[in-house]
Amino acid sequence: MTRNTKPDFYALSWRLPIIIWQALFFLGPIVFMIAMSFFLVKNYRMTEAFEFVNWGRMMTRGYFWDSYWHTIWIASLSTLCGMLIAFPVAYTLAFRASENTRRMAIFLLIIPFFTSYLVRTFSWFVILSESGVLNAMLGWVGLGPYTMLNTTFGTLVGYMTLTLPLVVILQTLAMANIDRSLVEAAHNLGCKPLQTIWRVILPLAKTGMIVAAVFCFILSFGDFVAPFYLGGSQDPTLPILIIDTTKSGQQWPRAAVVAIMMMLTLFAVAFAGIALAYRKRAMS
Amino acid sequence: MSGDLVVFDDVRKSFGEFVAVKQMNLTIGQGEFVAIMGPSGCGKTTTLRMLAGLEAPSTGEIRLDGRVMNDVKPHERDTPMVWQSLALFPFLSARENVEFGLRMRGVDKATRTSRAMDWLDRMGIAEFADRNVATLSGGQRQRVALARALVMEPQILLLDEPLSALDAHLVIRMQAVLTQLQRELGITFVYVTHSQSEAFAMADRVVIMSQGEIAQIGTPKEIYRAPANRFVAEFVGRNNILSGTVTAAEAGQARIATPSGTFTVHGTLTQGQRASFAVSADLVHVHSERPEAENTLGCRLLSEEFVGSVVTLFLESEDGHEFKVQMQERQLSQFDLKGGEALWLDWQAAHAHILDDG
Repeated sequence: MTRNTKPDFYALSWRLPIIIWQALFFLGPIVFMIAMSFFLVKNYRMTEAFEFVNWGRMMTRGYFWDSYWHTIWIASLSTLCGMLIAFPVAYTLAFRASENTRRMAIFLLIIPFFTSYLVRTFSWFVILSESGVLNAMLGWVGLGPYTMLNTTFGTLVGYMTLTLPLVVILQTLAMANIDRSLVEAAHNLGCKPLQTIWRVILPLAKTGMIVAAVFCFILSFGDFVAPFYLGGSQDPTLPILIIDTTKSGQQWPRAAVVAIMMMLTLFAVAFAGIALAYRKRAMS
Repeated sequence: MSGDLVVFDDVRKSFGEFVAVKQMNLTIGQGEFVAIMGPSGCGKTTTLRMLAGLEAPSTGEIRLDGRVMNDVKPHERDTPMVWQSLALFPFLSARENVEFGLRMRGVDKATRTSRAMDWLDRMGIAEFADRNVATLSGGQRQRVALARALVMEPQILLLDEPLSALDAHLVIRMQAVLTQLQRELGITFVYVTHSQSEAFAMADRVVIMSQGEIAQIGTPKEIYRAPANRFVAEFVGRNNILSGTVTAAEAGQARIATPSGTFTVHGTLTQGQRASFAVSADLVHVHSERPEAENTLGCRLLSEEFVGSVVTLFLESEDGHEFKVQMQERQLSQFDLKGGEALWLDWQAAHAHILDDG
């Protein structure tokens, strides 16, 4: 069969809007940001240049690497917590709930996205502060008060607010499609119910589970609101470092360096996730 | 056969309003090959799933080897099953699939590998042991599923329409594999199917189910030649069923007046009662002239169905009742049939089988 090599303008006209959108709002800004990382700042004004000064400075500074590893650590912790908290919920929705309950639950899990994340984060002040609801309740049983705001715990609460609904949805979808006869076959062959989760359900839901974990990591890694407002920007994460850098002496080029490092990290995590999710068994 | 292995004692299963199995009483012997057959929704799969513990009976008792099984969890039973979908684990190789059950039982790695390999070898698929099951053919996957269940060395094997996804020629070959295995191992097979040819080809006894009830239990021959009731007669094979009123009854013989004519049957009936009888399509003969015989009937040929060496003729009597006649293709060639012509049918009274439900 010979392929028609003439461009199909009709098909192109449908694809064009998304191509233009991607070029304008994704590719363009990235190219500009990469270029900007080589610019110089003189007298608080950015000037076009091609110098490695910013890269050299950021890559050799301890505070950058401290922040980098701290962000990776806390985003990983967030991923672990998110996956563990979401799993029992998603498992129940996928295997125990009826079709209607599951649909309703997924709808309810989408609702939080209708409200501003910032507003949801601020509502935690009421609950977590020294004189807040949670400490008051703990006080009745003779505990506390505990400092929960401006701690790593606070940051994690914020990350969960951001990621948990999505992680539950992704995990539920990953498990809802599992062929029930495979789970029954495992029981039939002597696999205990809890063992079945590890032996059969997780291997079958692997791809969806990894996608959920990667999303949880990416969202936490790039989030500014939770570490800034609930974590009190102690041990600044990379998003906080970017804000600080742009504020102090208009160092946009150095902020660009941080941003590019973040993007590279996220690409690496996403590709590692995809490679793991779709890793084929050796076939002989 | 040495004693009863499975006993269903007044077992009933309902899902909410829907009653899947009503008051079932069934005994399956040690080493018996039993096929449970019926149309979809008749309760045959539910019966099998209750045996595996995947459904719990609503009332009644299921005993396996004398032990009441009602509250025994599926994973605590030794009732491996072969699924219609095969339910092989796609993330494991053929060998790992076969090893799965042994692994759950805590059998050490060396032992389970050698036992799994023995079974893969026995099923003739040892060379595919390390292949992902997704890359195997339908027949090979079928053998992996069988090996996975049989490696557990159970007393009983449950099979839920395992051959329904295979090509026709593979079905025949797998039937031979299954029958041979069952004879060699001497264990009980309970085989659920909607296919008459599978059930009749393999089973020692066939259980016919209809709407949650057992319609008949018997050997394939009993069920084929002596259907107990209208449902079985209609479900099994090509039966001609006629109903009418008994006009005369004497020792061991009766005359039944049906809309198509009055016919003689063998059996004890009383005058005036309603009665039905079935004549298997292969016991009805076709003639171009009216024959001298016990039971004759004039018909018009509607159509014929030609499958290899066997031909089925579809005919219609004057009152519009459809008749089926099966014969060898070479017998048919003596008639020069074009369709629409008048033909005569005859059958022996001894071949008319009286149905229980009138």
